[in-house]
Amino acid sequence: MLDAIITILQVLIFPGVLFAIILALLYEWVERKFKARLQNRIGPLYTGWHGILQPFADIIKLWSKEDIVPAEADKTMFTIAPMLALASQLISFLIIPVVSVYALVHFEGDLALLAFLSTVYLIAAGIGGLSSNNRFSAIGAGRSIIQHVGYEIPLLFVYASAAFIAQSWSLSKIVEYQVKTGVPLIAFLGIGFGISIISLLAFIERIPFDIPEAETEIVAGWLTEFSGKKYAFFWLADDVQLLVGAGITAALFLGGPCGPVPGIPIVDEILYVIYFIIKTVIIVLILASIEASSARYKITQAVSGFWKYLTPLSILQLLIVFALRLYGVI
Amino acid sequence: MTIRIPVGPQHPALKEPERFIFYVEGEQIVKVIPRIGFNHRGIEKAMEERTYLQDLYISERVCGICSNVHTACYVLLVERLMNMEIPERAKYIRMIVLELERLHSHLLWLGVAFHEIGFDTLFYLVWRDREIVMDLLELISGNRVNYATNTIGGVRRDISEETKHKILKGMKLLLERLKYYRRLSPEEQTIVKRTLGVGPLSTQDAKRLCAAGPTLRASNVKSDVRGDEPYLLYKEAEFQTMVSDLCDVLGRILVRIDECIEAVRIIEWCVKNMPDGPIRQKLPPIFKVPENQAYRRVEAPRGELVYYGVSDGSEKPYRIKIRTPTLANIPALCKMLENQHIADIPIVVASIDPCFSCTDRLVFIDIEKGKKWSCSMPYFKHLIKKKFGR
Repeated sequence: MLDAIITILQVLIFPGVLFAIILALLYEWVERKFKARLQNRIGPLYTGWHGILQPFADIIKLWSKEDIVPAEADKTMFTIAPMLALASQLISFLIIPVVSVYALVHFEGDLALLAFLSTVYLIAAGIGGLSSNNRFSAIGAGRSIIQHVGYEIPLLFVYASAAFIAQSWSLSKIVEYQVKTGVPLIAFLGIGFGISIISLLAFIERIPFDIPEAETEIVAGWLTEFSGKKYAFFWLADDVQLLVGAGITAALFLGGPCGPVPGIPIVDEILYVIYFIIKTVIIVLILASIEASSARYKITQAVSGFWKYLTPLSILQLLIVFALRLYGVI
Repeated sequence: MTIRIPVGPQHPALKEPERFIFYVEGEQIVKVIPRIGFNHRGIEKAMEERTYLQDLYISERVCGICSNVHTACYVLLVERLMNMEIPERAKYIRMIVLELERLHSHLLWLGVAFHEIGFDTLFYLVWRDREIVMDLLELISGNRVNYATNTIGGVRRDISEETKHKILKGMKLLLERLKYYRRLSPEEQTIVKRTLGVGPLSTQDAKRLCAAGPTLRASNVKSDVRGDEPYLLYKEAEFQTMVSDLCDVLGRILVRIDECIEAVRIIEWCVKNMPDGPIRQKLPPIFKVPENQAYRRVEAPRGELVYYGVSDGSEKPYRIKIRTPTLANIPALCKMLENQHIADIPIVVASIDPCFSCTDRLVFIDIEKGKKWSCSMPYFKHLIKKKFGR
């Protein structure tokens, strides 16, 4: 009984849903502030310390707004899409190790589940865009899915390389392997890390790959018709997506939440969370600086770039890993 | 399957109300139909109702960004109607404000162009540098938007020695930044990917469709009113026309940055060579202009601006006709957009630096007969013949 209650609390509060949402909104603030400073702006300033509560205020404001469903939209699909998007990302967060080497949910093959959940998010975007019955939404949804076709395969090859080194398709096992050997996988997967960062930019739809929601071209892409609570859901999903993306990258290449710890139970866990935050924030800052220093690609340029350069590079990465294995380095 | 995408009159990529209907197949545009006329304000008619001095203030409000060039062209027109000479110093001050305005307009456009291709960082940086120019304009005229510097017979405000120093200092800083953007634009890969070969307009098409201003010069046509038919002191300032042979959006970016650098040079020349003396020739508030016809053209930031005026001996003009550069560029714009991608629409539309509020024309529609016509030159000639019998 007690175990069950603790598990439920873990899933709902720490390190589960509530923790993920708070952390995601804080990361949004980090990203906004850092990007603003790069662009010679100030960024959020008035709500809380240096505007740290601004994302929370934005979400609360959106929550208090009227819920509008366009008359022409498919009502069921239009309502399901935002929930599906947020749910898929929150479930993904449970698979990422945060407080210990092992995540809350871990089993052989959870890396494949993560890849699947990222596709679920895309499906949510797709049905959200197509069900709103708007030209801009339809184009945005189409672009979103086309872009996914571009970056998913190189990303999966990189996952496969990491899984091959650790001899396991479980994210927690990959972290465990890194703890055991004491070497983060970035040492062997340098190319993979680069591919992963670029694919992550495409996954979270930021410049230079914010093609599906390019403001100056198609208003807000598949998000055009969403407002109020439903938009807040997508907004939160987007933030959690950033956190999840950074979390997976940290776990695969930088050893997840692990680092030097004294070995005292509670202190260890606090330190793990701090290491996790430091590593993911570094990844968020890398993403933000790329975002601030490039223009938006066109969809044709993006997809052909993914197929021409990233896919061969990811296969090369896989071959390098095979060779290292063959010569007994790993 | 052809989808019809309406862009405008309200759209995030358009800062002013204008409607374009794009017929697209997949991501490719097959046909464009522009529709102007959302912002018609009847300015030409309003000018006929007021005295020459009152019209000065109306002409300033034709355009929000290039307000000064409209008054400059208007006062040049009235001075030609009256066969009037203005003091030397006034010419220098007019040129300084004209070129500062060109700088601010081009920098504004440069920022918007970077924003349209998704490069928001450069947008913020360019607009920060534009503040140097805005501060100088405020220092000279007291205003950031409508400078009210020109008046019939000269200028209204003098430039002091202290202001001269500040202008030179600001220009030095700006030149450094402009050279940085000039170096950066053809090198930065994402900018090149989005602009090189996009929105092509060949030299023949540019001439055939009567493009104007930087759009024309980016198609490798050496045409600039400041060089071809120098007004004020552009001949003495040894003005050079900037061209680019790229014939695309990148060419238009480079031509505008080059023109900014040239404008900085002209401003420095004006400040250094400015003679002492009076700045205006006083006129009474209401004066009569002898019966005459005149025509003036100047180079606005967006291209050739034409004012044509007819006076009938009274204190009000009989007719003022304004031809703005954006109107001339719209046929060329439709040509550029053919066979482009949807993603290129904003940057190609922006590349002519559209100013739709100056563009709008009145269209008469006779509902009963289903007839549609707009004001044209033969129509005006007919009206003038009716009035003067010639």
